[in-house]
Amino acid sequence: MDFLANWLINIPGFAVPFALAALGLIFSERAGVLNLGAEGFMLGGALAGVGLTLNGAPPLVALGGAMVAGAALGLVFAVLVAGLRINHVISGLALVFLAQALTSYIANENDWANQSFAGLQDLVLGQDIVVWATPLLCLGTVWLLGRTRFGLTLRAVGENPGAADAAGIDVTAMRFAAIAIGAALMGLAGGYLTVAVSKIWVDNVVGGRGWIAIALVIFARWHPWRALAGALLFGCIEALIPRVNAAGWAVPQYYLQMTPYLATLAVMIWSAARGGDRWAQPAALGQHHIREERD
Amino acid sequence: MTFITKTMLTLAAGALSLTGLAQGAQAEFAAVGDPKPAIILFGPTNDGGWSQSIDEARQTVEEELDMRIPQAEEIPESATAIRPAAELFIDRGSNIIIGSAFGYSDTFKELSEQYPDILFINPAGITNGPNLKSVYGRTYQSQYLCGMVAGGLSKSGKIGFVAANPFPLVNWTVNAYLLGAREVNPDAELTVVFTGAWGDPVKERAATQALVEQGVDVIGQHVDTPTPQVVAEEAGIYATGHHRDLSEFSEATQCSSVWTWDKFLVPEIEKIAAGEWEEAPYGAFLGIDEGGTDVACCGDAVSDELKAKVMEARDKIISGEAPVFAGPITDRDGTERVPEGEVLSDADLWAMDWFVPGVTGGE
Repeated sequence: MDFLANWLINIPGFAVPFALAALGLIFSERAGVLNLGAEGFMLGGALAGVGLTLNGAPPLVALGGAMVAGAALGLVFAVLVAGLRINHVISGLALVFLAQALTSYIANENDWANQSFAGLQDLVLGQDIVVWATPLLCLGTVWLLGRTRFGLTLRAVGENPGAADAAGIDVTAMRFAAIAIGAALMGLAGGYLTVAVSKIWVDNVVGGRGWIAIALVIFARWHPWRALAGALLFGCIEALIPRVNAAGWAVPQYYLQMTPYLATLAVMIWSAARGGDRWAQPAALGQHHIREERD
Repeated sequence: MTFITKTMLTLAAGALSLTGLAQGAQAEFAAVGDPKPAIILFGPTNDGGWSQSIDEARQTVEEELDMRIPQAEEIPESATAIRPAAELFIDRGSNIIIGSAFGYSDTFKELSEQYPDILFINPAGITNGPNLKSVYGRTYQSQYLCGMVAGGLSKSGKIGFVAANPFPLVNWTVNAYLLGAREVNPDAELTVVFTGAWGDPVKERAATQALVEQGVDVIGQHVDTPTPQVVAEEAGIYATGHHRDLSEFSEATQCSSVWTWDKFLVPEIEKIAAGEWEEAPYGAFLGIDEGGTDVACCGDAVSDELKAKVMEARDKIISGEAPVFAGPITDRDGTERVPEGEVLSDADLWAMDWFVPGVTGGE
C-alpha cells in the first residue's frame, strides 16, 4: 500500500517535464518546423531556473525566467530555420550543442553547479502548482490549436505553407510565433526539472529527456492529450524503476527501461498500419517555404 | 574504389600498424628530462567530484614541485576532441600528458604510439604501453571504511546505496561497503539502486527517496553528484560520499571516499625527472597510501570509538594485515569466490559481477 502511494505520488514530478516539452514540440511541429532542439531549450530553461533561484528569486519567478530563456533560445532557432531557412535537423542539433556548451559555461562561471536549494514546494496532495497547471496547459493547447483562428493558421502553415501563403498568411511570422511559444514551454519543462525535481544544477542536467520528448510527440501523433497520456506512461515507469529496485524485487531494470520505447514503437506501427488520421504528422513537417519556388 | 585498391589499402594499413607495434615494443621509454605535464580533464573543474579531485591534485602538485600545469577542461571521450587537445599541449612543449577518463583509453594508446617521446598517464584508463600508464584507485578500501561508519550509524541495520552502472569497479564499492558495515554491525543489510547514469540528479534523487521510503537510515553512493547527500539531509538521515569530501554540500555526510591524486602524481613526476620511471604492463592500481582513494572522516555523528575503529582498520588495510576481500567469501548465490586464507586477485576484482550476501538489488 505504501509502495503504491509512494509510487503514485511521484509520477507527476517525472511526467510534467515530458508533458510540457511535448506540448512545446507540438506547437513547433504543427507549424511544420521539425524541432530536434528540445534538449537545448530545456537546458536553457533549467539553467535559468537554477540561476534565478540561487540569486534569491521565488520559484515561480524562476520558472517564468526559464520560459523567457527557452523563448530566447527559440528565437535563435527561429532565425535559423524560419528566417535563414537552414535545414531543420542540422539547426536543431546545432542548437542542442550550443545550449550544452553555453549552459555549462555560464553555470561554471557563476559557480552554480552542485548548489542545492529548497525549490518549488508542494501545493495540494503532494503536488506543486505546475503539476496542477499542466492539464490546463494541455487543454489550452487543444483549444488554441483546434478552436481558434490562430490555431487554424498555425496548422495551415504546417500542412501546406504554399496554400497558406496564397491565402495571405505570413508563413515566416507564423513559424516564428510557433517556435517561440513552443520553446517557452520547453524552457518551462527544463526549469521545472531543476527548480522542482532535481533542486540542483549539474552540467547536462536534462540528461536526454528532450530526446524522449521528441519520441513522445511521435508516440502521440502530434496530439496534446495523447502526449499527456504518453508523458504519464513515461512518468509511471521512471517513478517505478527505483522503487522496484529499492524494494528488492528481482526485476532486471533494463526490461523496465525498455517499456516506454516499446510502446512508442508499437504506436508507430499501429498508426502506420491504420493509415492517416486527422492528427497525423503535419504534411509540411521539416519543409521550408520559399515563395514562388516549386516543391 | 575498386576491391583491389581497398584490399591493398587494408594490407598497407595493417603493415603500418604492425611496424608501429614493433617499434613500440622495442623502444624503451627514455626519461623526458625536465618534466612538463599537462592535464586533459573529462569534466569541468567544479563538478564537485571526479574532475574536481584531479584539478585539486594539480594545484597541490604545482605547489609542491613548483611548476605550472596547463589544463583543458570538458574534453569529451571522443578521439576528435582528445587528439587536438593533446597535440596542442605537445606542440607547446608538454612532455607528460595526463588524462582523466576510461573513454580516453584507445586514443591515448594511439597517441602514445605516435609520440614515443611523450609520456601518457590516464586515470581511469585501461590501456598501457612503454610510455603509457593507466591508473586507478583501490576504491573498495575507502568505501569499506565508509561502510564501517554507515554500519555504526545505522539503527535499523538497513543501508541504502546509490550507484551509477553495474560495472566491476562500482560493484566492488557496493560489496566492500556492506563488508565494512558488517564489520561493525554483523546484521546490516544493503540495498543498492543503480541509476544507469554517472551524473543524473533527477534519477539519483528518485533512487535516494525510494531507499528512504524503504526505511534505510544511511545512504552510501558511487555516483558523480552530491544529490544523495542532499536528499539524505532532507530526510534527516546520514550519508557517505564518494570522489571528494561531500560534507561541503550536506550536513548529512559523515564520511567520504576521496581521491588523493597528488599523492600519486608528485612521486610519479619526480621519478620521471630522475629517469627512474618504469613501464607497468597492467597499469597502476593504487591503495589508500599510494594516492588512490582515502577517507575524509568523520562527521559529528561519529563517536570517537567508531572513528578509532575505522582508523585502525585503515592501518590494517595499508599494512596488508586485513585486506578487504579476504576469504572466505561466498557470493549471494552461494558460489565460493575467495577460499579461506586467500585474497581476491586483481584480475578477479576487475571482473566482479557478483554481490556478497546481504546485498539486495543489481539484478
